[in-house]
Amino acid sequence: MSDWTKNLQKTRYLMDTLLLVSFMMVSAPQTTGVPLHEWLSLLFVVPFAIHLLLHWDWIKQSLRRFSAKISAKERFSLVWNYLLYVVMLLATVSGFLVSVALLPAMSISFEIQDFWSKIHHDSATLIMPMLGIHLALHWSWIVNLTKRMGKRAPAQ
Amino acid sequence: MKYLQYQWKTRLVVVLLISIGVSILLMGLDVTPWAQQINLRGYSHGADEGEGPNIPSFLLYVLPFVKELILIGIPLLLTLLWLKLCKRLKRAV
Repeated sequence: MSDWTKNLQKTRYLMDTLLLVSFMMVSAPQTTGVPLHEWLSLLFVVPFAIHLLLHWDWIKQSLRRFSAKISAKERFSLVWNYLLYVVMLLATVSGFLVSVALLPAMSISFEIQDFWSKIHHDSATLIMPMLGIHLALHWSWIVNLTKRMGKRAPAQ
Repeated sequence: MKYLQYQWKTRLVVVLLISIGVSILLMGLDVTPWAQQINLRGYSHGADEGEGPNIPSFLLYVLPFVKELILIGIPLLLTLLWLKLCKRLKRAV
């Protein structure tokens, strides 16, 4: 496992695990309390940005891949990833618009609309099953990497 | 971390600009009749203050994670089953 920084797949695996764990922490405001939930959500941007940076090649190729001859599973996965990104953004934006701790701490305050409260709750809940499907679509990669992570790289 | 550091500033700016653009578009939902309808009707989520459920306090901390595991795990399992079924059908044809 010590060579993970030199291996793209292993780096992705570890960073994606970090992303999943931080997502689960952020998605439990009943456990953390709303103020901590809001600050953790701000920090969540870091593993999310890392996830996007580590999958940059996929992002670059995705639009070209969509018009290419690909399997139905890959096409679905392409659309699904973009949908997940939009729903994630919707949860983030609505989270800012219903903030009761983070923005007031920065001396920013505005009237909270019921619409954004509903959107935040609904989009945050919707992300979970969407994430489940996203994980299932990459399940063989997850299983393979989990097996590989325990193995040491052969000595040079 | 060499994979992460490669052109990270340019890439991050691109992601940030796209995300801000999409976010501004999403904020436009604010002025739709749908939003106005919800604002008129009102929305509340969860129990009122002091009206917590009558369960042991440690469960209040654990249950949100159980909810997450179920909401992520069930669609994951169903999708895996669906993919397996599709693979078998494809092989059979």
